[in-house]
Amino acid sequence: MSTTPTSSIWRGTTLLAVAAVVLMPVILPSPTLATEILIFALAALASNLLLGYTGLLSFGQGVFFGAGSYCSALVMIHWHFGLFPALLVGILAGALTAFVIGALAIRRTGIYFVMLTLSFSQMAYFVAYTMSSVTGGDNGLLNVPRPPVSVLGFELLSLASPLVFYGFVALLFLAVFVAARRVIHSPFGSTLVAIRENENRASAVGYDTRQFKVLAFVLSGAITGLAGALYALLLNFVPLSNIELATSEHILIMTIIGGTGSLLGSLLGAGSIVLLGDVLSALWPRWPMLLGLALIAVVMFLRGGLWGGLLDLKNRLIRSPEPPQPDTRQKDAAQ
Amino acid sequence: MSTVLLQTSGLGKAYGNFHAVNGVDLCVRAGTIHTVIGPNGAGKTTLFHCLTGERRPTSGKILFDGQDITHRPAHKRVSIGMARSFQITSLFQELSVRENLRLAAQGRDGARALTFWRPTEARRQHLEIADQILERLNMTARANTPAGDLSHGLQRVLEVGMALCGKPKLLLLDEPTSGMGIDDIPLMTSLIAELGKEHTVMLIEHNMSIVMSISDTITVMSRGQILVEGPPAVVRQDERVRSAYLGEEG
Repeated sequence: MSTTPTSSIWRGTTLLAVAAVVLMPVILPSPTLATEILIFALAALASNLLLGYTGLLSFGQGVFFGAGSYCSALVMIHWHFGLFPALLVGILAGALTAFVIGALAIRRTGIYFVMLTLSFSQMAYFVAYTMSSVTGGDNGLLNVPRPPVSVLGFELLSLASPLVFYGFVALLFLAVFVAARRVIHSPFGSTLVAIRENENRASAVGYDTRQFKVLAFVLSGAITGLAGALYALLLNFVPLSNIELATSEHILIMTIIGGTGSLLGSLLGAGSIVLLGDVLSALWPRWPMLLGLALIAVVMFLRGGLWGGLLDLKNRLIRSPEPPQPDTRQKDAAQ
Repeated sequence: MSTVLLQTSGLGKAYGNFHAVNGVDLCVRAGTIHTVIGPNGAGKTTLFHCLTGERRPTSGKILFDGQDITHRPAHKRVSIGMARSFQITSLFQELSVRENLRLAAQGRDGARALTFWRPTEARRQHLEIADQILERLNMTARANTPAGDLSHGLQRVLEVGMALCGKPKLLLLDEPTSGMGIDDIPLMTSLIAELGKEHTVMLIEHNMSIVMSISDTITVMSRGQILVEGPPAVVRQDERVRSAYLGEEG
């Protein structure tokens, strides 16, 4: 079931992701909004690798996001790094913080693990808050440039236009999406699912489960760091809130509402929440309350998240010749 | 006599002042089925956990195939040829039977499964092993059933099958018939007897009829120590065993 041939990571949900990415700027009111959705979809997808596939509820995601934002912005402002080197710095910053936090937090399991990631998240926030000479503290890091796409100092494409920048982010998103599917269908990915299902058994058949969890953290951190770096480029600014606990919560809520254990669910989750925020915040300042209600509804009634709900609906409507899957998570894991 | 595969010398596990296992010298010869029995609290399970690496012994040594493995963590005992089953069924419940077995086969290669850029099917040998074991367990028809949907008896059989996937020299089975219905027990008995022809098996078991019918050697434990050891016929006749164990059972 988790033996997806190489060619098929290019089909199925990947085609749906491509379709979504092409349609979003057409349907949505602005390319900037679409870009924000893709950036948070990257972060949710990375969180999904930990929560949906490995079974680790990490509140560290905001730290990786913030580290990616700050580090890439700082090297662009002070050392005039180009676009790709700056993104690489963001990826490395996310991976490195994830390695440190992951390696320490997985020494405990269950609720203690969650509490450790929570503490790291609080610590990182206060570090960013108090080091205001570097991070700008409460004011945020201002005047972050958006360098053009260039190779060997030769400028190829300016990203100043919102639509062009959207295209750039969309290509990166699709690349990460395909790479994440490759990871999920690798021996490594199948072992992560095994650890989620039963860590004792995974250890008994020969896996050093800590190694696998740390690597899952590093991959998740790298993708989240990339998302953070892109967010800094989008806003031309790094707000302190990027590294707040609320960002971790935001990412987790997107992951859960979209559907854990399905990569497309992460896009769906990020899309719904960013859109909901955009529409509702103009109408009603207390809109995050509705977010709480949505989360409660999904957790209680839609265990597979929005994506799982859509799959159920499709099964019910089409009455396909194959019997409907009793458990959506099962089906999602096979994607 | 055949060679010794697993040997413990003076093995002990203490919790504070309580010696759950106290100076056990156990010797499991290659190619035999070796059963450890004893009344509740005799230290069988603690001994078993020390052998699998789940618990660290506080004294003594464990030698496996000539190597000292006393302090080796559980997951590093798989690649040298040890495999175990659990007393309480421990499977990947939501995954198919075949995927359960494939993961178990892949586990023997340990850290090589960290290759996150390769497709799973790049390592076909794991699927082949899974299919062989499926056939051996007579479960090919159930290959795509989620493990959690199997009957309890079949889950117990799969539990043993998972241990087989590591191509072990020594199979450690923790109460393989635990919780099995009376109708399923012959299935497990014949499976273990069958396995005994190719593997060395060490098991903990409560069901006396199984113990007496399949074991080559029986070790009787009581209060953390070995009381008697010998072939079934000898153990059955031993007075100390009767009073310590069989007598208690009535």
